[in-house]
Amino acid sequence: MSAQQNPAQRVAIGISFGNSYSSIAFTSGEGRAEVIANEDGDRQIPSILSYVSGEELHGTQAKAQLVRNPRNTVAYFRDFLGQEFKSIDPSPCHQSAHPVPQESTVAFNIRDTPEEKENTVTISEITTRHLKRLRNSASDYLGKSVNSAVITVPTNFSDAQKEALNKAAKEAGIEVLQFINEPVAAVLAYDARPDAKLADKIVVVADLGGTRSDIAVIASRGGIYTLLATHHDYEVSGFQLDQVLIDYFAKEFMKKNKSAGDPRENERALAKLKLESEAVKKALSIGTSAAFSVESLLNGIDFTATINRSRYELLAIKQIAAFTRLVAHAVEKAQLDPLDVSEIIVAGGNAHTPKVASALSAAFPETTKVIAPSTSPTAINPSELAVRGAAIQASLIQEFELEDIEQSTHPMVTVTPHLSHAVGVLCISGEESHGIFHPIVDAETPLPVRRSAIIATPKEGGDVLIKLAEGARHIKVTKPEPKPKEEKEKDEDDSDEDEDESEEEIREKTWKVGKILSEAALRGLQKGAKVEVQVNIGADLSVNAIFREVGGKGGVRGILQGQKGVNGSA
Amino acid sequence: MDTVQIALPLPVLPEGWAGEKDFKAIGSLSQATDRNIEPVGPHFLAHARRKRHKRTFSEDDR
Ligand SMILES: Nc1ncnc2c1ncn2[C@@H]1O[C@H](COP(=O)(O)OP(=O)(O)OP(=O)(O)O)[C@@H](O)[C@H]1O
Ligand SMILES: [Mg+2]
Repeated sequence: MSAQQNPAQRVAIGISFGNSYSSIAFTSGEGRAEVIANEDGDRQIPSILSYVSGEELHGTQAKAQLVRNPRNTVAYFRDFLGQEFKSIDPSPCHQSAHPVPQESTVAFNIRDTPEEKENTVTISEITTRHLKRLRNSASDYLGKSVNSAVITVPTNFSDAQKEALNKAAKEAGIEVLQFINEPVAAVLAYDARPDAKLADKIVVVADLGGTRSDIAVIASRGGIYTLLATHHDYEVSGFQLDQVLIDYFAKEFMKKNKSAGDPRENERALAKLKLESEAVKKALSIGTSAAFSVESLLNGIDFTATINRSRYELLAIKQIAAFTRLVAHAVEKAQLDPLDVSEIIVAGGNAHTPKVASALSAAFPETTKVIAPSTSPTAINPSELAVRGAAIQASLIQEFELEDIEQSTHPMVTVTPHLSHAVGVLCISGEESHGIFHPIVDAETPLPVRRSAIIATPKEGGDVLIKLAEGARHIKVTKPEPKPKEEKEKDEDDSDEDEDESEEEIREKTWKVGKILSEAALRGLQKGAKVEVQVNIGADLSVNAIFREVGGKGGVRGILQGQKGVNGSA
Repeated sequence: MDTVQIALPLPVLPEGWAGEKDFKAIGSLSQATDRNIEPVGPHFLAHARRKRHKRTFSEDDR
C-alpha cells in the first residue's frame, strides 16, 4: 500500500459521485455538514468532462459542450467503473463520447490534448480527472489541501466497482476512508440534525436520479441501520422525465413550423432540446409554469414555448406511477406492508418534482410520512442528502487509523443477529385471558439491545402481572358493512348504489400475541402508579429484564437463558 | 432512545399466582436472523466499540 495519511494530517470531505451529478461537502467544527459550491457556484456539479483544444472543462461548462462538442465530452460514466465492456449499458452515452472496450475495461476515444490527437482514455483515468476537479474545488474552498474522503455508492455497487473507484480516487490524491451506501447516507443526513429524535422505524429511501432509480427499505433502530431490501431500475429515471418534455416541445415545434422537420432527428437540435427540457423540468419544481427557449433549434429557427405544471404532470403520469410502483415493490420485497413504513425519504434530484412526492403520499397510508421539499417544509435538499451523510461520516471517522476503520466495517463486527419478532408486554383488554400486545423492542432490531417502557397500571393500584411475550405484526382488514338490501330498494333515487362494492376496506396494523416469555408480579403498587420495564436482550438471545414501580423501591429482576456457547451479554 | 410509553394498563395479578422471587421464566426467544448492519453513523460506532472490546451497555454508560 502506498503512503497512508496520518490521521492527524487528514483533511476529509464527503463526496457523492453520481452518473449525473456530483457534490462535495465538509463538516464544520460545530458538526454541521456544509455543501461546497465549486468555482462556477454549483453545488450539484455535472459529472462531465469535456475537452476543447486540449483544455479540460468540468461540470456545468462541460455539460454545455454536449451541444457543440459531444464526441469530446464524457458523461454518465460512473456505473462503468470496474465493469467489463460487455456488461455495461452504454445508452445514457448516446449523445456524448461513446464507451469502447479497452482490455478488460471501458474507455473513451477523445481528443483531449492541444494537438487534437485522438486518445483512448480509460474509465479509471476519466474518474480520476473528475475526482481531481472535485478535490481541487473543495481544497480551494477550505483553503487547505483535501486528502481523504468518504464516498457514497449505490447499494448494488460491486466490490470490483468499489476497488476501481478506490484506485481512481487514490490517483486523484484522495484516500478513501470508507464507501457508504447512498440511501444510508440519506438517513444519516436526517438523523444528524440537532433536533432529530432517535426512534425505531422503517424508512424507505426512494431515489429518483438521472439514469436510474434506487429504492432501499431500511430498519432504523436507535440510530443503527439495516438494509432489509433494495431494488434498482434503469428504465425509470430522470432521463425519462426529460424525454416527456423533449417529445412535447418537439411536437409543439413541428406544429408551429410545419416544414421544418423533427428536431429529435437532428443530433444538435436534440442535444439543445434535452438541455433545455431538463432546465424546464427543474423550473417546474418551483414554478407552476416554465418557459422553454432555444435559439436556432433547427434550420436556424428560434423556438420558445411555455408549459404549466399540471400539463407536465399529466404527460409524465406513467413514469411517475412507475416509480411509485418500484417503491411499493421494494416494500413487498422486504416482506413488509405499506402500513409498516414510517417514512419515505424521497431522494435524488427528481425528488424536487412535487408530483413524485404526492404520488407516493397517495399510494401509501396516511401514517407514512413522505419527506420531500413539496411535502415537508423542513426537508433537506434531496440533491444533497447523500453528500451530507458522507461528510458527517467523514467527520466521525477521520481520526481513526485506516486499519481501525477496516476492522469496524468487517463482517465480524457488522453481521449481527436481529430479532425475528417484536418483544413486548401484554396489557389489559376486554378479554382477561388474552391481553393486548404492546411492543417494546421491534422485530429486526440488532442485538444486543436495551429498551425500556413505562406502563400504566389499574386505577386503584395493587398487584399487577407483567407478561413478556413475542408479538407478530398483523394487518387487520375490515370490509365495510354492506348496506341492507331492503333499505336500498326503498331508496329509489339512490344513484350510487353500485359504489358500495368499490368502497375501500380498512387496513390496520395490529398485533398477534406469540410466545409468552415470562411472567412477573409487582405487588402493592400505589394508586396511579406507573411501572417501568427494562429489557436487555443479548446477542445470544438471553433476556435480562427489570420490572419496578416508577419512583418505588426494589423491583423484580428476571433472566431468560439464551443459547449456550454464544457470547453476547447485554 | 426514548422510553416507550404505554397507556393501556397492566392486568391485575390473578389470585394465587406464585413465582420464585415473583418471576417465572416460561419461554425463550425465537431464533434470530443474521443480517448486516450498516457501518455508518455514531450509534454504529458505539456498537462496534462494544463488540470489539466485549463491553456491555452499562459498562459503556460509565
Ligand atoms: N430541481 C429539480 N427538479 C426536478 N428535477 C431535478 C432537479 N434537480 C435535479 N433534477 C434531476 O435529478 C436528476 C439527477 O439526480 P441526482 O443528482 O440525484 O443524480 P445522480 O445520482 O447523479 O444520477 P444517477 O442516478 O444517474 O447516478 C436529473 O434527472 C435532474 O434533471
Ligand atoms: Mg443517484
